[in-house]
Amino acid sequence: MNTFMRWAGFLVVLFIAAPLVIVVPMSFSDARSLQFPPPGYWLGYYRAYFTDMSWLIPTWNSILIATATMILTMLLVVPATFALVRHRFRGKGFADLMMLMPLAVPHIVMAVGYYSYFGQLRLVPTPFGVILAHTCLSVPIAFLVLSANLKGFDRNLERAAQSLGANPARTFIHVTLPILRPGLIISALFAFVQSFDETVVAIFISGRGAETLPRKMFDSIRQEADPVIAVISTLLFAIVLVGIVAPYFISTLRSRAPKPSKPTGAH
Amino acid sequence: MGTSLSKLTEKPNIWPWLLLSPLGIYMLIFFVVPLADVAIMSFTEPRPTLANYTKVLTGALYQRVFLNTFLTAAFVTACCLLVGYPLAYLMAHSKPRTAMLILLLVTMSFWTSFLVRTYSWMVLLGNNGPLIAFLQMIGIESPPQLLFTRFSSTLAMIHILAPYMIMNIYSVMKKIDPALIRSAESLGAKGFSLFRHVYLPLTAPGIANGSVLVFVICLGFYVTPVLLGSPREQMIAGLIGHQIEEFLAFGLGSAMAMVLLAVTLVILTIYHRRFGLDKLWG
Amino acid sequence: MTSYLQLSSITKTYGHFTALSDVNLSVEKGEFVTFLGPSGSGKTTTLMIIAGFEKATSGLVQVGGQSITQLAPHERNIGIVFQNYALFPHKTAVENVYFPLQMRGVSRSQGLKKAEDMLSLVGLKGFGHRHPKELSGGQQQRVALARALVFEPSLLLLDEPLGALDKNLREQMQIEIKRIQRSLGVTTIFVTHDQSEAMSMSDRIVVFEKGRIEQAAAPLDIYHRPQTSFVAAFIGESNLIPATVTNASARIAENPVLDSFDYAGTEVLSDGQPVTLLIRPEHIKLSRSPIEGRKNVRMTVETIVNYGDNALVIGRAGDLTMRVRVLGADVVIIKEGEECCISWTPDSVFVITK
Repeated sequence: MNTFMRWAGFLVVLFIAAPLVIVVPMSFSDARSLQFPPPGYWLGYYRAYFTDMSWLIPTWNSILIATATMILTMLLVVPATFALVRHRFRGKGFADLMMLMPLAVPHIVMAVGYYSYFGQLRLVPTPFGVILAHTCLSVPIAFLVLSANLKGFDRNLERAAQSLGANPARTFIHVTLPILRPGLIISALFAFVQSFDETVVAIFISGRGAETLPRKMFDSIRQEADPVIAVISTLLFAIVLVGIVAPYFISTLRSRAPKPSKPTGAH
Repeated sequence: MGTSLSKLTEKPNIWPWLLLSPLGIYMLIFFVVPLADVAIMSFTEPRPTLANYTKVLTGALYQRVFLNTFLTAAFVTACCLLVGYPLAYLMAHSKPRTAMLILLLVTMSFWTSFLVRTYSWMVLLGNNGPLIAFLQMIGIESPPQLLFTRFSSTLAMIHILAPYMIMNIYSVMKKIDPALIRSAESLGAKGFSLFRHVYLPLTAPGIANGSVLVFVICLGFYVTPVLLGSPREQMIAGLIGHQIEEFLAFGLGSAMAMVLLAVTLVILTIYHRRFGLDKLWG
Repeated sequence: MTSYLQLSSITKTYGHFTALSDVNLSVEKGEFVTFLGPSGSGKTTTLMIIAGFEKATSGLVQVGGQSITQLAPHERNIGIVFQNYALFPHKTAVENVYFPLQMRGVSRSQGLKKAEDMLSLVGLKGFGHRHPKELSGGQQQRVALARALVFEPSLLLLDEPLGALDKNLREQMQIEIKRIQRSLGVTTIFVTHDQSEAMSMSDRIVVFEKGRIEQAAAPLDIYHRPQTSFVAAFIGESNLIPATVTNASARIAENPVLDSFDYAGTEVLSDGQPVTLLIRPEHIKLSRSPIEGRKNVRMTVETIVNYGDNALVIGRAGDLTMRVRVLGADVVIIKEGEECCISWTPDSVFVITK
């Protein structure tokens, strides 16, 4: 069983890794259309991306919308999470379930709803419509991350602070908030990424007025498969790589720093 | 005991409601109302009848698309399981270094945008791509069209959704107490029977979790089937988008959306009864 | 009223469930009082009411003659050490100890100096810059203690603070806590379910059971003169024998198995009154044949548990299970399954009426 599992595992690793890395050489290709392996290499499409307003504006829109979504999501979710994790009240089970509903509804269904409803509210080709819609979709994700953190929070820490003379407000500022900070950051990051990557709703409601990067990419892939997409894919891939690998290395470095005597094993 | 309830009736606490109300009101206006709008449109557009549902539930085109969507979702789920189980096993039982690298890879894949991964498959399966070149190299004169077929969209969906399956199974496998396996071995279980009677049942919750998640996402998948699939073999989400964008058929699109939502909610309700919905994404 | 901490008729109910009923207690200034009881007995609830984290349904808490019942926890000036220490993970040891001073508006330089001094007092000189996770369990415990004492609280509350430590460290910390408490003279309430801890550390032990105080007395009084059969059974090993008083003036009681025998004490009892008789295992003597001048009973030995320096012999006398503590060297005279003689003098038979 073991050897079989190992070989199967190796093939699966290849299956998962290949499509991730292939965009990197593609982005340096000098071919006009999709061709792999590339006939030659140049940086032309990087220059094209960084000078073409039709790519830069959607990028900027996406950053703006994701940032606004993140802020709005956190403003709504942080108090709600405290209510749902810290308090018991009638209807809590229902409220817990409702928090997760946006995850249960397929995005295409929401897209139809927003297209019609926001159309009537004249929010359709505006960034506000996208922000309002994305916030709904980010709420459950931010809630799941934050509530997991808050459930693990030792309430004795707050009791200790109060017994030591901190009133509820100072307890929150000096103890609750700093200890919860990593959870808050991760939760906000999830909300940002959710909005930044969201495609379906954006396709239907971002229009010309607030075109997001995923919408632009979708349109471009659908129509002509502009090689600039490989550049963007590579850049996004690089950001994810840095975002995931960097914290890992920092945490290993940190955990090693105070204990230099600990055997570090074979490298 | 009933103690907590009577405690509640003693002094109603307004704090949770105060903290919850901004989000509650927001979700009411920007989530519930648009959803209700879809429900209403499905009955009233263009005229208030049940015609949209009659058409969606009995029309041959729509039945075919629903069936196609279901079969594709089932197939993708099965393939994700087939692909994900060995990899999760490898992650859970390899040397820490190997496990770490695979975990990193899966996490990377998970965080890379759907669109990027969809684009990659366009490159891989394109007429000037490596797979076609490989087929020509081994002597297949006129390789089949790979891109814009059911094959390409299914393959890409498996790739895109596999990380959900892997992460779910992995998190269960990692929690299995090795002593349990050792004690099963000491009781005479080995090889396939050890796997069949001990390991597989222990990992069943992860399989159930991953399968429901993959199946439900796949049912409503829009981007990848639209970009990579054959226009003649649409999935339900693609058809909904098509009706809205091309024909502005809001009533028909909404009715299909409601059917899709209903199916999704039925599956999730069954899951919720058995395991609790918060576990699905937790 | 001269007592320093005064609990008057404290009652706490959750709906129909009564967690505490009519708890009254006076604690003198500088006293070290231990709340002892099984889990759910109300000892921690009482502590939380003193600290202000729980509100009593009725009753009064006073410190130094002033009611603190209406004060919020942060206004009470009470130091607490929690079972899991509750050290702030984002602050270093010295910052943790400085925190209560910071809340009281003490300047940073002055406060940190005072915090360092406090750390020295608990034996952690030079550890101030470390974060809690870089300290051992015992060291974290000391930081928590320093933090709870640095602001000169009116009361020190310790909520099972030694529960997470291993046996050797626990004994060391018991001595350490006693030393620090004495040197500062702070009035202390210590919650534990470990009776040996209670015995070795306290000036007074308060035994809780089912939301009531069963008995509050000095450790040796609790041990030798338990007022209820619960206290007798909970503290130390005991033989509890149901009996009926047959001759109150001659202090004679009777049990169907053990027949009649004399008991000690000064309580006024009446004939026919049902009582429980307590005989501690170490007051029973084991021998091959009856000993003159003592009450003798025949017993069949069932189990011998050896502890090295002593052994516990468990056997049956009729339908009663009897426990006898013998010195390690003496245990060789008897084997499991054999019959022997156990005996005691009337002054080791203590009467419990509740």
